[in-house]
Amino acid sequence: MKNTFMLDVSNVSVIFGKVTLFDNLYLSMHEGEKLTLSGPSGSGKSTLLRCIIGFAPFSGAIHIDSEPLNTHTVWRLRRKVAYVDQEPDLGPGQVREALKRPFSYKANHAVNFDPHRVDSLFERFLLPQSLQSKEVRTLSGGEKQRVALIAALLLKRPLLLLDEAASALDANSKHQVREYLREQSELTILSVSHDTRDFTLSNSVFNIEALKKEEAR
Amino acid sequence: MNATDISYWQLAAGYGLLLFPFAALLWHGVPILGDTILSIVRMTVQLLFIGFYLQFLFRWNQPALNFAWITVMVLVADASIVRGCGLKARRFLAPLSFALLIGVLFPLLLFVTVIIRPDPLLDARYVIPIAGMILGNCLRADIVGIRSFYESIHKQEKAYLHALASGARLHEAVLPFMRDALRDALAPTVATMATMGVVSLPGMMTGVILGGSDPATAIKYQIAIMLAIFSGTAITVTAAVYLTLYKSFTPFGLLDKEIFRSRD
Repeated sequence: MKNTFMLDVSNVSVIFGKVTLFDNLYLSMHEGEKLTLSGPSGSGKSTLLRCIIGFAPFSGAIHIDSEPLNTHTVWRLRRKVAYVDQEPDLGPGQVREALKRPFSYKANHAVNFDPHRVDSLFERFLLPQSLQSKEVRTLSGGEKQRVALIAALLLKRPLLLLDEAASALDANSKHQVREYLREQSELTILSVSHDTRDFTLSNSVFNIEALKKEEAR
Repeated sequence: MNATDISYWQLAAGYGLLLFPFAALLWHGVPILGDTILSIVRMTVQLLFIGFYLQFLFRWNQPALNFAWITVMVLVADASIVRGCGLKARRFLAPLSFALLIGVLFPLLLFVTVIIRPDPLLDARYVIPIAGMILGNCLRADIVGIRSFYESIHKQEKAYLHALASGARLHEAVLPFMRDALRDALAPTVATMATMGVVSLPGMMTGVILGGSDPATAIKYQIAIMLAIFSGTAITVTAAVYLTLYKSFTPFGLLDKEIFRSRD
């Protein structure tokens, strides 16, 4: 592991109007580290992930790979982060098109779309290959979550954010996904789950309340 | 030959045509009777005023005055678009005015200076009605296109955010919504062109025939105006989206919800 942090969240607060969702959060992750955040619904777990990808306003400091996240760096830093939503919407068209689409973006020109890797991930995550030619909107919740995870993995980003990304999976699929992610030794993964008995990627499980002090680093 | 004039008494008799629609609205309890009456009154007053004003405009026939009148029409249309799209006037009036102006002026100038070439070249009798026809269609297209663009991004926020999370820049993430907006805005004109002359006899062609020209001349005018309208609507919607784009998103690429006048 490198000494620098892949993710460093320092004194981060999120306030919507007069409501403080959370304040003074601290969290640091080394490259390859896997951490699961727990906490009750509404405690701000998902919002913290949204802050890290630049989808929610925050005060404090977030560093990704030692670079501060701000309006100037967000577009560049998003190339280092992959994000899977609990209820992902991959856009219109067939699954294969949805998986290919991000490779038309300039930011991903250095990464090639690898159909063999797609086939292998489909097999690994217990998805039938025929699903690739189905319309995205016809997929079940569990299928959507796995396809969204595959889309994120294909981009080969060093930091993966998972927002209850396995909540709709059956036990077998969940096991397969968990094992695969655990094998990715270089991939830094921050996942949130309201039920940590259900889906964890390592022994590092923190309640979001525990991050509200600097020792949480 | 000129069109046969209609006396005010004869025109008043025309309002008798409203009896059936009013009866249908009342009988079925459709709650738009008040709005309908208001619209008819507005139409009548506005057209009486315009008819009166155009007489002077045609008599003076000054290009600067014509341009000033087109600017007034654009500003009125602009306010109507902002209201129709539920957007905040402060942010959208200026860029939409500019989008409308180029959407009208480009095909208009091409129409009068290359296709018709009247003498004088910027004759009010040609410039004002043609500008009005193009502007009317641009207004409709802008309302449909701009509303479709911003509301689609708002409603399909997760798909939009998925694109951003996958590395899309702003112009890449909005591209599917831009495509839909252009399709929605241009589809009515495309459909109208496809059925023109078969399903309906269009307004300009009818006007030229009533004005005493032969149908061969009338269809040439109609074809030219449809091309000008299609070009104008495509220009104005594209310009409207791109001119408002960077004012409507935060530096993080998120749609600024403050652009909408009121939201639940």
